[in-house]
Amino acid sequence: MNILLQNLINGLTLGSIYSLVALGLTLVYGILHIPNFAHGALYMVGAFMTYFFMVDLGAHYWIAMLGSGAVVAALGVLCERLVFHPLRHSPPIHDKIAAIGILLFLEALVQMLWGADFRRMSSPFTGVMNIQGLIIPEQRALIIAGAAVLVVGLQLFLRRTMTGSTILAMAQNREGAFLVGIDANRVAMMTFAISGMLAAFAATLYAPINLVYPAMGHLVIMKAFVIIIIGGMGSIPGAVIGGMIIGFTEALGGFYLSNDYKDVIAFALLVVILSIRPQGLFTKGAH
Amino acid sequence: MKTLKALTRAFALAALGAGFSAGALAEDTVNIGFSGPLSGGAAVYGENVLSGLEMAVDEINEDGGVKIDGETHKVNLEALDDMYSPSETATNAKRLTQESDVSAIFVPHTGGIFALQDFNVKDNFLIMAYTSTPTVTEQGNPLTVRIPPTFDGYVKVFTDYAMKKHGKKLGMAGATHEYAKIWAKMLEKEWKAQGGEVVAKNPMSYNKSADFYTGVSRTLAASPDVLFVGGASEPTGLVVQQANQLGFKGGYIVMDQAKLDEMADVAGGIEALNGAVGVTPLSIYESDSAKAFIERYQERYDKMPGSEAAYNYLALHGLVKAMQIAGTTDAEAAREHIGQAMVELDKRFNPYDVTEVTENGGFVTETTMAVVEDGELVQKEVNLELD
Repeated sequence: MNILLQNLINGLTLGSIYSLVALGLTLVYGILHIPNFAHGALYMVGAFMTYFFMVDLGAHYWIAMLGSGAVVAALGVLCERLVFHPLRHSPPIHDKIAAIGILLFLEALVQMLWGADFRRMSSPFTGVMNIQGLIIPEQRALIIAGAAVLVVGLQLFLRRTMTGSTILAMAQNREGAFLVGIDANRVAMMTFAISGMLAAFAATLYAPINLVYPAMGHLVIMKAFVIIIIGGMGSIPGAVIGGMIIGFTEALGGFYLSNDYKDVIAFALLVVILSIRPQGLFTKGAH
Repeated sequence: MKTLKALTRAFALAALGAGFSAGALAEDTVNIGFSGPLSGGAAVYGENVLSGLEMAVDEINEDGGVKIDGETHKVNLEALDDMYSPSETATNAKRLTQESDVSAIFVPHTGGIFALQDFNVKDNFLIMAYTSTPTVTEQGNPLTVRIPPTFDGYVKVFTDYAMKKHGKKLGMAGATHEYAKIWAKMLEKEWKAQGGEVVAKNPMSYNKSADFYTGVSRTLAASPDVLFVGGASEPTGLVVQQANQLGFKGGYIVMDQAKLDEMADVAGGIEALNGAVGVTPLSIYESDSAKAFIERYQERYDKMPGSEAAYNYLALHGLVKAMQIAGTTDAEAAREHIGQAMVELDKRFNPYDVTEVTENGGFVTETTMAVVEDGELVQKEVNLELD
């Protein structure tokens, strides 16, 4: 088997998931300047909602994914309305504490409703493709393809539609956006909705090759924060490239150097990148 | 002013009343502590342990409680969450002894047990240790009871089986927590002692890894005949599944923390575990006491119990029995009488038929071994007199 190619595929799979989660995080940060610590919890709720639709209601995988996306998007909007909007004039530390509060609340709620058990959710794509010794399970291929479609779709939405442009406008210049009459509330809600939806899609893509349990968000959220710091807080290309950097570092570093230290390698990379470009790879000026 | 005075008086009375009732309650209640993971990645493990303990407590109370020194006591279980962190276990133990006056604490993880052994004799409480780490009892702490058998027996027989059946090259892909590290070290020693070779060492964090593909493929690159795996059952099942996907055809040595039947649910059926050797899951035990326990447990929780529920269940029954025989809830007296208690304990409370406790506080249980051959889970005779 071609070991290098195999590891590149592993890296691409991991990188795709990390990118999707980081995208939601960076969108919210770019517009509202809130580090949404609860994003990992939204990801976890996304997995549980898909599980609920698929296993309890018997929906098809794709339908369940859409349903879960809708529910988590609504949850994101709810968080914005009930928590972050009332705090918009408070010092930033209040937002951070509130975000941690939401994280703890959602985790405890899910554990109360579903219990702490590890659950297994299988998608219709359980086969394994074997291309001349290169092993790619179908679900992993789906993750890579799904992430690519979502990233391109998001890019098109932001660049080619009026609603998308209002989000970009807000991110680039708040006052300017107000002056041309952009409704800040609407943009904020929409951003949270998109961010939640991306988290739910990422979780639904990834859950079939992993386990579903209340603490599953911890695995990705830590990485997602590292990614948006590497890529530049609020930068969309930064989140995608940053996700790939961390994914490949883990896969290649874990294989060729040491599996024990693969996280150390990723964090060492963070230190190196930050010492050369303190504002991250893709921001023009520090926020 | 008058209202204020009246109010103060009311409060004082209420406080006094509360004090009295708490005092009265303490008179007829035996408090027993638990500190284990109830949130975070290992929550399900802690909850399983707790389910066995709670079931035992309810059974004792439904039977009218326990008679200690002529007075009937209800049993009350105080459970605290330590998220698997030894420092939290220590804090919890202080709280449990000071606030709830417990004389025994159940702890289901090695790190936490070691943390408590630093001060349990001074603070006079008994550690009911749910871990197979041999050093927990070998160090001679006089107030520790080890509930499951030590794993050195498993290491020996698993090695013997796997090496004869699959070959001499071992790849290590176990977990990285304290318990798994000790296990791996002993396995490595035994494997070499029996003439085998360790071709790859790749421990992975089973709780914190987003993916095992990298670690597993690195281990498989050294082309081992046997793979050592093990952490909690579910992630271990994932590791096996991914090794199968990557084309591994050899055998597995499964650390005793993981249970073959629970792994099968994740890995995609028992066939996926072909060639694995591990401890016998409770679900295929044939004894009447085990079957009766499984039935009662299923009635109550609507799921198959694992060994952590069963072991802690019988240990709590044994502990309360020991207090009854000793005529006091004192830790030292309970420890002294636990051996006698296990002999006298009603069979239906003893799913593993433990009737002997070693000098340094370890329950004696038969070492068991189960293997998966041709897609079937079968129990194997264990011959500890190898060499």
